[in-house]
Amino acid sequence: MSVARRAFIQMSVGATVGILFTPTVWTALDDVSIWTQNWPWIPKLTYGEAKSLPTVSKMCESGCAVKVRTVAGQAFGTEGNTDNLLSGGGICPLCANGVQVMNSPSRIKAPMLNGKEISWDDAKALVSEKLAAAGSNVAVISGDQTGTVNEVFSGLLVNQGSDAFYSMPSDLQKADKAWTDLMGGSGQIGYDMENADVVLLAGADALESWGPTVANKKAFASNENGTFIFAGPVQTRTASVTSKWVPVPAEGMAAFVLGITYYVLQAGKSVPAADFDQFKAMVMRGYTPAKVEAATGVKADVMAEIAKQLLSADSPVVVPGGSVAANTAAFALNLLLGGAMKVLPEFGKAVETAMTRSEMLKQDILKGVSADVLLVYEANPFYVLPEKIKAGFTVAFDSVNTETTAAADLVLPTPHSYERYDDLASPYGVAVATYSLGTPVSKPTLNVMNAADFVLGLTDLGFESFQEVLEAKVAAVGADIDELAEGSAYVLEESADVSGVTLAANVLGKAAIPVKGNGAVALAPYTLLNVGTANQATTPNAPSTISNNQLIGDNLVVMMASVTAKKLGVDVGSKVKLSGGNGECEALVQVFEGVLPGVVAAPLGMGHTVGDEFSKGKGDNVYKILTVSSEAAAGASTWAGSTVNVAKI
Amino acid sequence: MQVKEFKIKWGMVIDIDKCTGCGACMVGCQVENNIAPMTKKDPYNYVQALTWDRDDAANKLKVLTWLTVYELSNGAAFPNHETAYLPRPCMQCGNPACVPVCPVVATEKNEEGGIVSQIYPRCIGCRYCMAACPYHARYFNWWDPIWPEGMDKGLSPSVSVRPRGVVEKCNFCHSRYLDAKNKARQDGGDPMNLPDGAYNTACADICPTKAITFGDLNNPEHKVHELAKSKNAFRLLEKLGLAPQVYYMSEREWVRKQGDNYNADGGDHGAPSNSHG
Repeated sequence: MSVARRAFIQMSVGATVGILFTPTVWTALDDVSIWTQNWPWIPKLTYGEAKSLPTVSKMCESGCAVKVRTVAGQAFGTEGNTDNLLSGGGICPLCANGVQVMNSPSRIKAPMLNGKEISWDDAKALVSEKLAAAGSNVAVISGDQTGTVNEVFSGLLVNQGSDAFYSMPSDLQKADKAWTDLMGGSGQIGYDMENADVVLLAGADALESWGPTVANKKAFASNENGTFIFAGPVQTRTASVTSKWVPVPAEGMAAFVLGITYYVLQAGKSVPAADFDQFKAMVMRGYTPAKVEAATGVKADVMAEIAKQLLSADSPVVVPGGSVAANTAAFALNLLLGGAMKVLPEFGKAVETAMTRSEMLKQDILKGVSADVLLVYEANPFYVLPEKIKAGFTVAFDSVNTETTAAADLVLPTPHSYERYDDLASPYGVAVATYSLGTPVSKPTLNVMNAADFVLGLTDLGFESFQEVLEAKVAAVGADIDELAEGSAYVLEESADVSGVTLAANVLGKAAIPVKGNGAVALAPYTLLNVGTANQATTPNAPSTISNNQLIGDNLVVMMASVTAKKLGVDVGSKVKLSGGNGECEALVQVFEGVLPGVVAAPLGMGHTVGDEFSKGKGDNVYKILTVSSEAAAGASTWAGSTVNVAKI
Repeated sequence: MQVKEFKIKWGMVIDIDKCTGCGACMVGCQVENNIAPMTKKDPYNYVQALTWDRDDAANKLKVLTWLTVYELSNGAAFPNHETAYLPRPCMQCGNPACVPVCPVVATEKNEEGGIVSQIYPRCIGCRYCMAACPYHARYFNWWDPIWPEGMDKGLSPSVSVRPRGVVEKCNFCHSRYLDAKNKARQDGGDPMNLPDGAYNTACADICPTKAITFGDLNNPEHKVHELAKSKNAFRLLEKLGLAPQVYYMSEREWVRKQGDNYNADGGDHGAPSNSHG
């Protein structure tokens, strides 16, 4: 068939006219413009029955009592548990993001040996073999302060003939050292901030990062007539709502408390402690207000005023943070005042051979850990103090990737808090002994195993599963398991015996003397829960809550008063290098007048080298520049008194 | 424009003397309202190597923080320095500046309760409302909401996910209002007279110090009714006449003065020194 010239022209004209009149082309263009702008992924919401299920969350140090919101069985949110006295409806910013962390791609999906996936049976055989070879040269580092899982791990150690149970550095450990070792007490110290009429927070950032923060905040909110005073080197978030901020250097906290004690003793207060006379003589001679003012810079009349407030209160309490000496001094002052400091008894054990909580706190991780086999449970020591850990074979139990799982030989994934049985016994600082139980509220989707179940398969502790251990624990506590499973906390209003407690006069006299490093400025490290803790990095939704006083872009921000900045020759936005301890940090300067002159305030919890995009490479790791020094008189190690040199870059 | 009055007026009273700035409310808000975490990489962008990274949460100009906690400073040098934290949701103004400027009626103040709506399918992303709002309470959705792999399993069932290119803002967790009214109907109650606490926002629920109190400002049985009238109560930029339904309280005079951008002494401490958002 041939096409004549005329036919070709007719067809071309017809096609052009046709195209002009048909809507197809224009609709297609419209569709292209829409679909090229459309998002490639359309999120689908799940609909179904909504529930709110109680459990515990172990993401923050003290743990939160929460309710997990689910729809059609799928968890999506976390809210507070009004039925539990630890929460009262509130939760901390870390636990508020619990479900998102549970669903995070940074979860560990299966057991890994040196980067290669292995089966649970092979992992068990390997660890059994390593433990048999190591004998008693086995150590445990636990990042859990409140769980019965520690009984299982310590039971394993006891069976191996080892006592090397380490906890990560904590206020609980300092308080225990002061109370049980130096003062001869038993039980755990608590503070009734809800019913106290004057609360002196001596270094304890209680409304942000110290102790059971949510319970503390609840106590603060309901204590409408109480006066809260915060003492510390930085005007923290706690200080933003207290009646008063008293600037006190961290290393001078013990001396500051003894300076107040001087006035309290002068007012005739006494306690029937064996060494009371010695204590009184030590304070009246060595910690006169003039001497304390010279050593700490805190004016004598400030201490006199606080002492007056404490003395005139019906139920005052001093809540310490920082060194063992500061804890000892605060406990002695509380005993003199006879106020709202409580001594909580420890609940009975489930595992007979396990260590007590106090025994688990005896080892000092800052002095270093060395073992043939090291088991690390949901802790991140390779982020906090990597140079202190020496192990032939490291097993890391965790639910997400961290510096510690990256450094470990064998990584064993644990279920997230919401996917497992767990418990929460008396977080440090609560006013009464409390016990809460966590039950799984979401099905595990990964190849995970509760660490305690794994350990029970390695050694004979008389239990087949961790669930059985928890049932035994609940029985030992004397609680009703059904009530606990519904989310309420069991409360024991008893007090531990305080007879025979001394005031540690012989130790405190020396231990309270401020000791500082020789760097140019003092370093005041601080923790914000939305930034993260030693064991838990920031969570997916939290970065947008981090202020430009902590992080700008990917740069760490350190704060100092304008006089300090002037002295160092830096200004807002200057890039500086801080050197101290075992390393260096780079940071931008922010001027914040709520920092004691001569002090640089730096946030802990950033600068991760392993983890998800929300924490990795964000800021710098301030733990690198902390200096471990010995509280010689108290027989402990401390980071208080750390100093750094600051160089502009 | 006149202040629009309703029989029910949902409002907040935020006690600044109780807020520690912990950020739990901001996290709770994002979870409740399906606000995606900010991620640099887009797994669906197959030409990533040729394009810029998305913004992460470090870029405070691009984050979607319907509720932002600002840090206030009294501007004094050490040792007289004081600091405070101010959470800022949408003020749900009685006379909103954002509503009349919207060319497509994507934002309205019409519903009983006085919550200023934001109708995402109508929004054309012109951002006039953002320019009009003196509280910076509106946010433009610069990027597709992308949850890292697996995290999209845990989305709140009550709030639809918005595409990029629209303006978003706090709506006092409006779906909770609908839920509370439905529950009242089921239980034989009056949906137009909800008891105090029957409808509460996610931020007020989660706040550990209970700094945020939420309720009907017109209902004498609701706590906010009295709290909003207390001698320490104030509203932000009250002189603009936008009649916000969010009140603040502080015993500290400098905080109250900053709330109205008080500048009588010509000082430079009118604006927050630092902010989260």
